[in-house]
Amino acid sequence: MQVEPGQRVRIRVKVNGVYYEDEVEPRKLLVDFLRENLNLTGTKIGCDTSTCGACTVLLNGKSVKSCTVLAVQADGKEITTIEGLSSDSKLSPVQQAFKDNFALQCGFCTAGMIVQAHYILSEKREMTEEEVRDMIHGNICRCTGYQNIVNAILDASRRMRA
Amino acid sequence: MSYAGKSVKRLYDDKFVTGRSTYVDDIKVNSLYATFVRSNVAHGVIKRMHKEDALKMRGVVAVFTGEELNQLIKGGIGPWTTYIDPRPWKIPLWRFAQGETKYNGEPVAMVVAQDKYTARDAAETVNVDIEPLEAVIDMEEAKKDKVLVHKELGTNLGYVGDFNAGDAEKALSNADRRVEVEIANNRLIPSPMEPRGIVSQYDGANLTIWYSTQIPHFARAEFSRIFNIPESRIRVIMPDVGGGFGSKAHILPEELAVIAASIRLGKTVRWTATRTEEMIATNSRHNVFRGEIGFKNDGTLVAIKGTLDVELGAYLTYTEGLQPTIIPPMIPGPYRVRDLAIRSRAIYTNTIPITMYRGASRPEATFIIERIMSTVADELKMDDVEVRMRNLVREDQMPYTNPFGLKYDTGDYPTLLKEGVKVLEYNKLKEWAESERKKGKKVGVGLAYYLEICGFGPYEYSETRVNEDGSVIVAIGGTPHGQGTETAIAQLVADELQIPIERIKVTWGDSEAIPAGTGTYGSRTLAIAGSAAMASSRQALEKMKRVAARSMKADVEEIEYRNGEFVHKKEGKKMSWDAVAREAYSGKEPGVSASVTLEGDVTFPYGVHVAVVEVDDYGIARVKEYRAYDDIGRVINPALAEGQVHGGGTQAVGQALYELAIINENGQLAVTYADYFVPTAVEAPRFKSYFAEKYHPSAYLTKSKGVGEASLIVGPAAIVRAIEDATGKRFNKTPVTPEDILK
Repeated sequence: MQVEPGQRVRIRVKVNGVYYEDEVEPRKLLVDFLRENLNLTGTKIGCDTSTCGACTVLLNGKSVKSCTVLAVQADGKEITTIEGLSSDSKLSPVQQAFKDNFALQCGFCTAGMIVQAHYILSEKREMTEEEVRDMIHGNICRCTGYQNIVNAILDASRRMRA
Repeated sequence: MSYAGKSVKRLYDDKFVTGRSTYVDDIKVNSLYATFVRSNVAHGVIKRMHKEDALKMRGVVAVFTGEELNQLIKGGIGPWTTYIDPRPWKIPLWRFAQGETKYNGEPVAMVVAQDKYTARDAAETVNVDIEPLEAVIDMEEAKKDKVLVHKELGTNLGYVGDFNAGDAEKALSNADRRVEVEIANNRLIPSPMEPRGIVSQYDGANLTIWYSTQIPHFARAEFSRIFNIPESRIRVIMPDVGGGFGSKAHILPEELAVIAASIRLGKTVRWTATRTEEMIATNSRHNVFRGEIGFKNDGTLVAIKGTLDVELGAYLTYTEGLQPTIIPPMIPGPYRVRDLAIRSRAIYTNTIPITMYRGASRPEATFIIERIMSTVADELKMDDVEVRMRNLVREDQMPYTNPFGLKYDTGDYPTLLKEGVKVLEYNKLKEWAESERKKGKKVGVGLAYYLEICGFGPYEYSETRVNEDGSVIVAIGGTPHGQGTETAIAQLVADELQIPIERIKVTWGDSEAIPAGTGTYGSRTLAIAGSAAMASSRQALEKMKRVAARSMKADVEEIEYRNGEFVHKKEGKKMSWDAVAREAYSGKEPGVSASVTLEGDVTFPYGVHVAVVEVDDYGIARVKEYRAYDDIGRVINPALAEGQVHGGGTQAVGQALYELAIINENGQLAVTYADYFVPTAVEAPRFKSYFAEKYHPSAYLTKSKGVGEASLIVGPAAIVRAIEDATGKRFNKTPVTPEDILK
């Protein structure tokens, strides 16, 4: 598709089960589209360079860093953000496990971390501690030292298998 | 019913795990967006600003230079006079760059536009002509005063102070052995996951500022002084804050520019730093100690003499003045050495200004003294534990006044070391490492001890208010931003009031909702804000008793309160907590609230930490295990305290092995996490954290001391010692890089 400078492009996405249509600049990042256009501020911007993982969302079920995806690339696709993980105000097993295991402190990495945890548990239900550490190594947490996060994900995996 | 001592779950986690948290960038108000044009030279004269192209762009509201902004920014930034005596300092005026730029990355112009994208596009079009001047980047060069960062100061030495105790010269000449030492911490980037941000709203009379800060009340005072606006007309609100580690008790020219623009334009203006901006806005550490130590053949350290150089960067920040004055008196640490002569110097360079970072002075002091202890051990071929045991202040000397007059309150340092070695299985680990090394593996175990100073006064505020339905709001001047202290404080208040914790809400961080406050830093919040909350709750309970007495027509002495019930002892009549609360709002003098401004002083936690390190063939070191044994006074919530040990320990791994902010004439080379290595889950060790069962209390009501910084205070020393054990080489700096290990 050819677009002129300043020209906007119409996109249609399904976010957390709801369809949205909007016109966006082709260069607009998905994270800014979610936060600014849809007011879904649960997804955070931590680094702008896809190294910290605070902006992790699911795009058609796969985890992506939404600061490195253009909104137009999400056209026609389904997105799940942190706001879409709990239904009827009931926490998901991962969310509950994060609370129960003291897996957060300042909370800024938490949304991305939980979305990533959902993703890895959707790929593989049973994991070793090493595997969990490897699967979240694209998500930086500066507060917790990760041990409680790893414990929470292992705990969630047990809960989901039970 | 008792909550204190239990790992009660954090009370306000739901919003974080469901995406309903509100950090400053999440606040939805109609606002303009600011961005900055930055200097690309380390030192230069700002000649001309070409802003015409930017101003022609759609959505661009204004482009401001330092000349324009500084008409409103009347005072300069820092230092934090609550803790820093400015008199011995040479302090340059630090406002928005005007005339000259002093470091690469310094903001030199501000663009205000309708949205973030437009602002950033416009900033690209603003050309600033800067005529380069000779710059001094290296601290060692700066000391020579050949190139001056601030001509008007006449020197790059911002501070020179002598810390003398006893007679170091004599003690050195009487020592059995003398050894020269050089010990350094390199420059770091604190890196809270939420980059800093600010929203400033000016309504013609009053300023409302949402600010990612650890110190809303101090920030209000500083903004008041700098803009010459009474504090009563400035409201600073701290929303959820995504980590600070000391770096958000730091006021930047960018933030002052946002406030100035909001006043000048009469509009709400916001700025959220990009990660790169965060990384070039906040640097920390960089200090070098060079000197000589003297010790006896039995391992007794008798003298320390030397010079401590602390880098400041281009300006004196709000907090960096602490380091040159707190490091020297903390160098003796938990040891009996009494003859010291330390010259402390603080040095300006054409680099990013340096601010305090988790531990602020105690990590530096601890690294110095623990390296000294390890040096004595190596020179005498003594065991690390033995040499420390030989030097620790004994229990019969407590409370102990250190050679610089600091009064160590409570503790039994040798017993903790003995217990710690056992609990952490240090000797077993050492044996295991030795047998692994025989098999060809490069593994090592290191131990370090610390004594630190925390709980800083001068005061903290708390109000306990009983609502008409019996629920309770506790408004504290402390400002938790991830530590979970609000939960621990709710535990303390629930115990005081003997009501379920669910009925208590702890609130903080709004300079108008909380009449006074100092904030969260220096591992002080549980001790000082927790004690203030206990005190205000006790007073509120006394008021409740008076209402119960009035209602039951008894003297207040006749009323006993237990488990949510007020009992008229003689007559056996009872009233529930809720009934008394309701009653309190129906009679004369309605309402129940009590506020306390509690004075506080420092307290001294201590502990021993052990690290297990493995080094691969490429010189890359990994901390496999990290174990901690601490006496932090009474532990109110063990899981929260452990969380601090884990978090600080992981930052210690970063400081000891991976994190390094490299700066040259072209600026700071680390501008993303691809070139500044914050530990991920893969580099983070497994933790074991223990707290001394027989703790030594502080003088605070909570009996607690503090734990927020412990692992970053002692961790680097333990980890570096472990690398030495693994490689057989000696290292006296952080970070120890693969290049150092392979050299």
